[in-house]
Amino acid sequence: MSSPAAPPPPPTPSVWTTLARFTRRYVLRYWVWFAAGLLFLLGTSWLAVQIPLELARGIDALRQTGDLDAVRRSAVTIAWMGVVLIVVRTLSRVLFFTPGRLLEYRLRTDLFAHVITLQPSFFASHSPGDIINRASSDLQFVRAMVGFGILQVFNVVATVALTGQEMFRISPSLTALSLAPVLLSLIVVQAGINRFFTLSNQAQQQLGRVSEHLLASLQGVRTIQGFNAEGAFLERLRERDLLYTETNLKMAWVRTIVMPLLPIATTVSVYLLIAVGGPMAVAGQLSVGQIVAFVAYIGSLLFPLRGLGFMVTVFQRGFNSLERIDELLYAVAEQPEGPSPAAPPARLAAIELHDLKFAYPDAPEKAVLRGLTVNLPAGKILGVYGATGSGKSTLLRLLTRQRNPEPGQILLRGEDGQAVDLTAISLNEWRRRLAVVPQVPFLFSESIEQNIAMGEPDPARLTRAVRRAALEADLGALPEGLKTTVGERGIMLSGGQRQRAALARGLYRDFDLLVLDDVLSAVDQKTEQQLIQTLLELTAPGPDGRRPTVILVSHRLSALARADKVIVLREGGMADFGSHEELLRRCAVYQEAWSQQQEQAAAEPAAAEVAS
Amino acid sequence: MSASTTKPPASPSGLTLFKKLWPMARPDGHLYVASLVSAPLLVALNLAQPYLLKVAIDDYITVGKLDGLQTVALQYLATVILGFVLNAVFGLATAVAGQRLIRRLREAILKHLLSLSPAWFDTRPAGELLTRGTSDVEALGETVSSGVVTIVMDVLIVFATLAAMLWLDWRLTLCLFLLAPPLVGVIEICRRGLRKHFNGMREGISAVNSYLAERVSGVEILQLFSAEDASSRRFRALNRPYAESTIRSNVYDALMYAAVDGVGSVAFALMLWYATSSFGVGVSAGLLVAFIEYVNRLFTPLKEFSGKIAILQRASTALDKIFSLLDETDHIPSGALALPKPTGSVRFEDVRFSYKPGPPEADILKGVSFEVKPGQVVAIVGATGCGKTTVTRLLSRTYAGYRGSITLDGVELSALRLSDVRRAVASVSQDVQIFPETVRFNIGLGDPKLTDEKLMSAAELVCADTLIRGLPGGLDEPLKERGGNLSVGEAQLFTFARTMAYDPTVVILDEATASIDPVTERLIQHAIERILAEKTVIVIAHRLSTIQAADLIVVMHQGEVSQMGTHEELLARGGRYAELHDAGFSS
Repeated sequence: MSSPAAPPPPPTPSVWTTLARFTRRYVLRYWVWFAAGLLFLLGTSWLAVQIPLELARGIDALRQTGDLDAVRRSAVTIAWMGVVLIVVRTLSRVLFFTPGRLLEYRLRTDLFAHVITLQPSFFASHSPGDIINRASSDLQFVRAMVGFGILQVFNVVATVALTGQEMFRISPSLTALSLAPVLLSLIVVQAGINRFFTLSNQAQQQLGRVSEHLLASLQGVRTIQGFNAEGAFLERLRERDLLYTETNLKMAWVRTIVMPLLPIATTVSVYLLIAVGGPMAVAGQLSVGQIVAFVAYIGSLLFPLRGLGFMVTVFQRGFNSLERIDELLYAVAEQPEGPSPAAPPARLAAIELHDLKFAYPDAPEKAVLRGLTVNLPAGKILGVYGATGSGKSTLLRLLTRQRNPEPGQILLRGEDGQAVDLTAISLNEWRRRLAVVPQVPFLFSESIEQNIAMGEPDPARLTRAVRRAALEADLGALPEGLKTTVGERGIMLSGGQRQRAALARGLYRDFDLLVLDDVLSAVDQKTEQQLIQTLLELTAPGPDGRRPTVILVSHRLSALARADKVIVLREGGMADFGSHEELLRRCAVYQEAWSQQQEQAAAEPAAAEVAS
Repeated sequence: MSASTTKPPASPSGLTLFKKLWPMARPDGHLYVASLVSAPLLVALNLAQPYLLKVAIDDYITVGKLDGLQTVALQYLATVILGFVLNAVFGLATAVAGQRLIRRLREAILKHLLSLSPAWFDTRPAGELLTRGTSDVEALGETVSSGVVTIVMDVLIVFATLAAMLWLDWRLTLCLFLLAPPLVGVIEICRRGLRKHFNGMREGISAVNSYLAERVSGVEILQLFSAEDASSRRFRALNRPYAESTIRSNVYDALMYAAVDGVGSVAFALMLWYATSSFGVGVSAGLLVAFIEYVNRLFTPLKEFSGKIAILQRASTALDKIFSLLDETDHIPSGALALPKPTGSVRFEDVRFSYKPGPPEADILKGVSFEVKPGQVVAIVGATGCGKTTVTRLLSRTYAGYRGSITLDGVELSALRLSDVRRAVASVSQDVQIFPETVRFNIGLGDPKLTDEKLMSAAELVCADTLIRGLPGGLDEPLKERGGNLSVGEAQLFTFARTMAYDPTVVILDEATASIDPVTERLIQHAIERILAEKTVIVIAHRLSTIQAADLIVVMHQGEVSQMGTHEELLARGGRYAELHDAGFSS
C-alpha cells in the first residue's frame, strides 16, 4: 500500500500567534489559580527573607545587649514564621501546579477529539508514533512550562529581588562579592543543562534502537537460531548499547562536573564572606548577626537559582512542544462539502464515475487512477479485480471518501434521477450509510461485541451479523464468546477470526453500500462461497424495496465469478467491465488469471484448511 | 501471561540477589572501591565546612582577631575544592560502573534468550520479555549510578552530621530532636499519599496512552463507523482519574517539600530559645551558624530519601525478574558429535512425538518413517493437524524430545552438535521474518564471510536480485520492522535469498498460502523451482507444480504416513492422495 503524504503544509503561525492562542484558550481560564498562587508565593518569599533577618537580630541581641527577652521574642517570631511558611509554601505550589494538570487534561482531550476527525492525508504525514509523542511527552513539557515554569519565574524574581535587596542593605560590596561566583557559575551551568538535554534526547534515540533490536531479536528467535546467527545479533546489540552507554557517560560528566558548580559557587561565596566579611566585622562595619544572615541568604538563593537554569530549559522545550501540539490542534480538516452540505440521494440508483483521476499528494506526477468512466448500478454485487498497484484500494478510498476526489468525478444518482456530487454531500451522512471491511482487519482491544457494534451493542443485530459473517463457530471456541476481549489489535484471535470479526462489524449496520476490500483472501473456499451467498441475499430487495450495493475487491476470481459485474483495473485504468462470462470471453488479463488460479486451486486441498 | 505476573513474586532477600549480581559487577571492582573510599572522605569534608565557619566566627571574628583568619578561610576553600574533586571521582566511578553493568546485563539477557528453545517463547509475549532487557535493566543501572551508593552516602551524612552536632553541643542536638517526630510524621503521611497516587498515575497514564495509540492507529475505522464522538467521550473518562491522581499527589508533594524546608526555620527558633536557657550559656554565634548549616545538611537527604528507597525497591524487583529469566533452562539439548561435511541424507524411523506429555494415543506423530536421499525433493502433503509441520520442526531441532530415530547422514540427530544440525538444515517458514536492518544484514544475517558478491549471487538464484537493484539503497537499503516497506511476496523472496546465502545442505520449505499478486507469484514459483533443483529439500507443498516435481510424496494423515510414492504412482494407486487431488480439481 502506498503511503500518501499530506497536502502542502499551511503557513506556520509565528511563535507569538501560537502563544497568544494558547494563552487565550487555555492559560487565562485558570487566571484565578495563578493570581492566588502568586499571592502566596510573595508571602513565601517575604517570610524566607524575614526569617534570617530575625535570626540575625536574635543573635546580635544575645551577643551585644544580652537582652534575653528580646532573643526569646525573636525565637517565637521565627517559629511562627516557620509554621506559616510551611502552609503558605504548600499552598503556593498547589495553586500553581493544579492548573497545569487541569490544562494538561483539557489540552489532551481536545487534541484527541480533534485529531480523530482529521483525514487520512493528515495521518500520512503524521505517524501514530509521532502523534502519541506529541500527546504525551510534548504535553508534559507544556504542562511543566505552565505549572513549574510560571512558578519558577515568579519565585526567582521574588526571591532574588527581596533577598538581594536585603543583602544589599546590609553591605553592597559584600553582596557584589558573594554573588559574583554564583552568577559566573550560572552561565556555565546553563550551558551544561542545555548540553545535558541534547545528550538526553540522543540517549533516548539510542535506547530506542537498542530496544528495537532486542524486540526484533525476540520476534526472530527461530530464524536467528536456525541460521546460527546468535553471535551476529549479540554483536549488533553490543555496538548499539555501547553508543547508548557512551552518551549516558557524557551525561554523567555534565552531571558530576558541571552541575555541582552552582552549589560549589555558593560555598566559595561563604569563603569570601569569611575572608572579606570577617575583617569587616572586626572593623565594626557589620555585626556577627549580619554575617549569619548573609550565610543564610546565600543558602536560600541556591534553590531558586538552581531552578533558574531548568526554568530556561523548561521554557525552551515548552515553546517547542507547544508549537508541535499547536500543529495538530489547529490542523485543518478537508471539507470540500463546505458548511452547508447536500444530502445524499434517499435511494441510490447508480454511482457514476466520470473520468476519475487520482494521484496521492506525495507523488503528484504518479497517477494512481488515470481516468475511470463507468456507471455502477446500485443494488448489485460489483466485483473489482486487478493486480497490486492497479488502483483498486484507491478507488475504494475515494468512494468512502477516505480520500476526496475532485468535484464532478464521482456522482451519486438517486432513483428520482437527480445526481449529487459525492464531494458535496455531508460526510457524516454518507458514512452512516456505508459499511466498510478493510483488507487488513483492525480490531480494538475491547470485547468482540464492542468491536462489532462500535458503540452500544444491540443483541438482535449482533446475532445476525455474527451469523452472516460465519463467526458463530469461532465464538463457541472462545472463553467468553462475544464478551471475549481480543487483546491489542486482536492478538487473541487467529487471522481468519480477525477477518471474520471485521466482516461482522461491516454487516452489523444497515447500509446502502457495503465495501469489501479483499476480505476473502484468508478464508477457505467453502466459507468463501458461503459468504458470497450471504451477499447475494443481502442485495435482494428488502421489505421497503431498498437494495443495498456491494463492492467486492478480490484477487480470487472464484469469488468474483458470482458478482453481477466486474471491473478489471490495470495500472490505474479500466481494462474491462462486464459479467464474469463476458470477461472470460474477451478480457486477456482476466482469462490468464482465471486459468492460473484454477490450476493452483487444484493443488490446494490442504492449503485452504491451513488458512482458515 | 506468565505465572510471575499473576501472583505476587516472593521477594528474595537483597543479599541473595546481590550475590547473583556480583559476578557481573566484579570486573569493575576498582570502581566500586573508588566510590566507597571517596564517599566517607566526601562526607568528612562536607562536615568540616560548618565547623571551620564556627571557628572563623567564634575564634577570630567575634574576638576581633584577624591574625590567622585568612588561614581558616583558605582551609575552608581547600575543603570546597577537594570536595568538588572527590565528588567528581565518586560520581564518575558510579556512572561508569552502572553503565558497564547495564551493558553486561543486557548482553547476558539476550544471549540467554537466544539459547532458549523456540517453544519457550510461544507462551511469553515479546513485549514482556523486552521489558526485562530495557526498563528493568535501566532501573538497575540507575540504582547503581544514583541509588545504592548515594543511599550509602546519605546514611553516612545523616549519622556523621548527628555525631558532629552531638560532639559540638549534645544538649542542643537533643533539643533539636524534638522536631524529628512531627517531621517524620508529616514525611510519612506524604510518602503514603504519594505512593497511593503514584500507582494511580502510572496506571492512569498507561491506560491513556495505550487508548490514544490504538485509536490513532485505527482512526480510519473510527471514522468509517462514525465512532469519533464515542471515542472522545471514552478518552475523557480515561483521562479523569489520571488528572485527579496527579492533582492529589501534587498536594502531598508540595507539603513534603514545604515541611522539610519550614522545619529548618523552626529549628532556628529552637536554637535561639535554647541559647537563652540556663544550658545555653556557652552558646556562641559561631555554634549557631554551624548548627544552621548542619541542620540544612541533615534535612536535604531526608527530603530525597523516600524517592531513593523507591528506586531501590524498583531495582530489586527488576533484578528479581531478570534473574528468574536468566535461570530459565528450557534449552534444546545439544549432542557432542560434529558433522563437518553433511551430504544430506535424512531418515525418519518410527518417529513419535507429542508437544505435551500424555498417553501415546494423543501423540501428534504416531510412528512416521520415510527417507530422503541427498539431492532429492520430498513433498509432504496432508490436511492441517496431520503432523507435517511437526516433522519439519523435529528435523530443524526447533523441538527436542522425539522417540524413535531421526538420522542425518546416518547419525542420530540428538547426538549431533546443535549448531552443526542448524548449519546443515535450514528452514524457510511461512512466517516471514524481516529484521529492521539493511537488506545486506537481512540476507547475510551478519555473517562476515558473506561478501556482497556472494549475497547478490544468492539473491540472483532466487530472482531477488532485480528487486534489490530496484531499491534506492540497494543492499544498504534499510528495511522496516516486519518488512513494513515490502510486500509479502517480496519479503518471501528475501528469506529465500537468505537461505541460499546460508547455503545449507537440506532446505525445509513451507510454501506460503498468502494471497500474492500474480507478478511476484511467478517470481516465487521460479525461485522455488531453483531451490528444488539445487538442494535436498523437504517441502510442505501447496502448489501442484511443486508436488509434481517431487521425487517422493509423503501423504500424511492424523500423525501417520498413509501413502508414499511419486505423483503418477499415487494417482494410479488411488486412495487418499487421489482423493485430495480430485477434491482440488472440483472445488
